[in-house]
Amino acid sequence: MSEKRRRFEALAMPHLDAAYNLARWLTRGGAEADDIVQEAMLRAFRSFDGFRGEAVRPWLLAIVRNCHRSALEQKKRHVAAPLDDRDDTEIAADDPTPEASAIRHGDGRELNKALSTLPEEFREVIILRELEEMSYRDIAAVTGTPIGTVMSRLARGRALLKAELTGGSHDV
Amino acid sequence: MTCDESLKTQAYLDGELDAADALNAEAHLESCAECQRLAADHAGLKAVMAAAPYHRAPMALRTKITAALDAEEKTDANVIPLRAKPGFWLGAGSGAGGMAIAAVLAFLVFMPANNAMVADLADAHVRSLMGEHLIDVASSDHHTVKPWFAGHSDVSPPTEDFKADGFTLVGGRADYVHGSRAAVVVYRHGAHVINLFAWADRNARLPDTSSQDGYRMVFWKQKDLDLAAVSDVDPAELDRFVELVKKSQSRE
Repeated sequence: MSEKRRRFEALAMPHLDAAYNLARWLTRGGAEADDIVQEAMLRAFRSFDGFRGEAVRPWLLAIVRNCHRSALEQKKRHVAAPLDDRDDTEIAADDPTPEASAIRHGDGRELNKALSTLPEEFREVIILRELEEMSYRDIAAVTGTPIGTVMSRLARGRALLKAELTGGSHDV
Repeated sequence: MTCDESLKTQAYLDGELDAADALNAEAHLESCAECQRLAADHAGLKAVMAAAPYHRAPMALRTKITAALDAEEKTDANVIPLRAKPGFWLGAGSGAGGMAIAAVLAFLVFMPANNAMVADLADAHVRSLMGEHLIDVASSDHHTVKPWFAGHSDVSPPTEDFKADGFTLVGGRADYVHGSRAAVVVYRHGAHVINLFAWADRNARLPDTSSQDGYRMVFWKQKDLDLAAVSDVDPAELDRFVELVKKSQSRE
């Protein structure tokens, strides 16, 4: 095993789960997540010589995000994006505790649905913050946006998600 | 409608504030009904997200990736590392063992230098955006900017205007990057500023790309220069800009 490979196994491979999780959420659970992650890991390995000292996880997740973006671009050229299907919303509009109700369902189906209706720029910051528990700085590195933008997208994304979960209005 | 402090309150709830700012945020939270609502929503959402499935990589994918890396490594073994200049490796011993040791040493030696350089570039970029020192010579005419650098800088950076492609040359300045004089060519792309740094190549290894504080950097070497483009512009646009510069530079 080469030194580069050893370093890659030690530094990058531990973040494979994070890479896959992000890909699954970016693709809204799509089967293409596997291809995106494989492509991302390969690209990461190829450029690992040029990688110096920064935190590995944001770097790797930025590559996953880029791979997702280019896959999306390619797909757009072939087919129109499917519309979100938003029927059978089980949460009543006046449900006082949507959080509890979403938890009760256990499988996170409502949450999945609510998250998948969020525009990608909001969905990705919420996933990175809430599931990967990344700092604003690292999220900024993954998404290639200034920290201020991360903060405002998080605020907006959370408000949208809450509105989606409670079936309330969007202009919170 | 929205409290001016709401982003700060959010940062507090996300554990992003230092002790002093956290105290201020707590004090504000006690008196602001809107931020209290925000805190309740924040906690509620956290509880909801705790139920969100975390998708772990399936074993089949792991196996596939390992196989792909094995294959990649085999092709790697027959290729001399891209950035390794022959002179650089002299004295590092010979044979594969020597190469491996040299690679590790290079990593250790250049890692802090690159971190400092990346931080330097981010700082220089932010300083320029604060209006402290964006431009010494304001001109969209590269016939004006080019000779200005001849008198004010050690290097002659590419100064072509890419207005037709959406990147307008607005001027240049002399700056310092990591202890050496650098020429900076300034472009605008919509509302965004792109700083193109150029300094004399001293055989240092550069990262391909990096980012700090939300600013992305693309590095490359061309002719006798080290170059870095720094901006918060969309990454795809920054890459397009870099390609334009590379092309113009190879025409020179």
